[in-house]
Amino acid sequence: MTSAATQNEILLQIRNLNKNFGGLKAIQDVSMDLPAGVITTLVGPNGAGKTTLFNLITGHLIPTSGTVHWLGKPLKGIEPWKIARMGIARTFQDLRLFSHMTVEENIMTVMERSSWLWQGGRTEAEKRVSEILEETQLAYKRNERAVDLAYAERKFLSLARIMASQAKLWLLDEPASGLDPRSFERFVTLLRNYAARGITICIIEHNLDIVIKLSDRVAFLDQGKLLAQGSSQDILKDPHLAAIYFGDRS
Amino acid sequence: MLAYLQNIAVLFCINAMLALTLNFIMGYAGIFSLAHAIFFGVGAYATAYIAMYFTDSLLICMSASILISALLSMALALPALRVRGEYFVAASLGLQVIGVTIFSEWKSVTGGLGGMIGIPRPKLFGYVFNDDGMFLLLAFVMLLIVIGIIALLVRGSFGRSLMAIRDSESAAQSYGKHVNAVKTISVAVSAGLAGVAGSLYAFYISFINVESFMLETSILLMAMVIIGGTGTLFGPVVGAALLMSLPAALTYLPFLPPSELGTIQQIIYGLAMVLLMMFRPGGLVGGRSREKSA
Repeated sequence: MTSAATQNEILLQIRNLNKNFGGLKAIQDVSMDLPAGVITTLVGPNGAGKTTLFNLITGHLIPTSGTVHWLGKPLKGIEPWKIARMGIARTFQDLRLFSHMTVEENIMTVMERSSWLWQGGRTEAEKRVSEILEETQLAYKRNERAVDLAYAERKFLSLARIMASQAKLWLLDEPASGLDPRSFERFVTLLRNYAARGITICIIEHNLDIVIKLSDRVAFLDQGKLLAQGSSQDILKDPHLAAIYFGDRS
Repeated sequence: MLAYLQNIAVLFCINAMLALTLNFIMGYAGIFSLAHAIFFGVGAYATAYIAMYFTDSLLICMSASILISALLSMALALPALRVRGEYFVAASLGLQVIGVTIFSEWKSVTGGLGGMIGIPRPKLFGYVFNDDGMFLLLAFVMLLIVIGIIALLVRGSFGRSLMAIRDSESAAQSYGKHVNAVKTISVAVSAGLAGVAGSLYAFYISFINVESFMLETSILLMAMVIIGGTGTLFGPVVGAALLMSLPAALTYLPFLPPSELGTIQQIIYGLAMVLLMMFRPGGLVGGRSREKSA
């Protein structure tokens, strides 16, 4: 499922990470690694701290304590745009598309590393945009505004943007929620292809199909704590974790 | 009659420039500023001061207006841009109040409430723009240049970054956009080009005081942008044309009492805004719908 070549390298290392919001401990002493080329799924009930963990990695939130290292470099205090340029990109649960820009502009602006008037490699960029549009089957919507797309198309546009970002690590926040079965299969195939090309993917997902079909590793979070991590079979078979996931804490 | 039309045309060019530059930050970057009249004023005072005490060279006066307006906007924008949405509107209102106070109180530079009188017409390569027709040509050329600069910016990567920030600041950051830098540069460009309008205004009217740079002017400019079409290139020009020609058009309606024209004008402005927001929220040039969620 993943490229073996780079699998042993630890891209992202999280150690003893904590995040408090006042008295609420949103993340408690979480330590985990994201090895290169591996698809990791973060599962857990609502409010487990999954999105908070993403926000801490991408610099949208500052940890109360603990460290996040990207390729050996600490990320604490680095602004989100710089972290993005270092090779970590993310999607959002609520998509946050550039609503009034066209599909093509949404992708093109992500590819542009700077905002200067004169950009190098324009032809290659346009070629890459076309490739991405084909891969996500959005080519026929190229000139439509994001706000005018159907729900599944918006989801694929969100994916198209991260494909254009040239990031090594993709953090996907519930990317498959609400997809119809056909779109879901296309989505799984796309992610598999990119993982095979060496992209490291970390997904927050409630859809257990994704967990089973895509994940190399699963990390289970509950109330800000990392309760377990391992293969999807091991995690999903654990009756204690299943009980927490389905809301039975007795 | 010709002089009257020329006068309206010059003022249209100046207001269209201001509406275009406000739309640059408002429509493309989502920065709703109520302080645009201040940068217009800074440009006008800078030109007036230099023209009256140093040189009437168009290039020098206008360059100084651009530079001072842009630099001042950056100094003011840096703290203000830390807040978003309606908070920035409130912060810009504060800037507007501060600006008006400085314009009316810094007597040694601005002439205080009395303003500055006797600003000479500009000189370009030895030619003095005393003829109103030639001044109109100058204003029109400057309007075209401003349109060209804004078109170049919004249709390229800078414009895409601006629109990305407008639509989702956090997503733009997550894809490597330096949001604060892009916003600050856009405010500086907008203010600098508003300085061009200010410079032309001072040269044309030959008298300026704080009355021209009050909150009402900022609101009128915002109305031009909204009526014409926020986030469209030519919308603000259409909005400016409409709002500049309306007072003149009303004077030709014989059944309206001349003493009530000002009031009727305000009612029409207000009614037009309400109807547009109801039936064509994208403005005259923009689309029918402006859904915000995606």
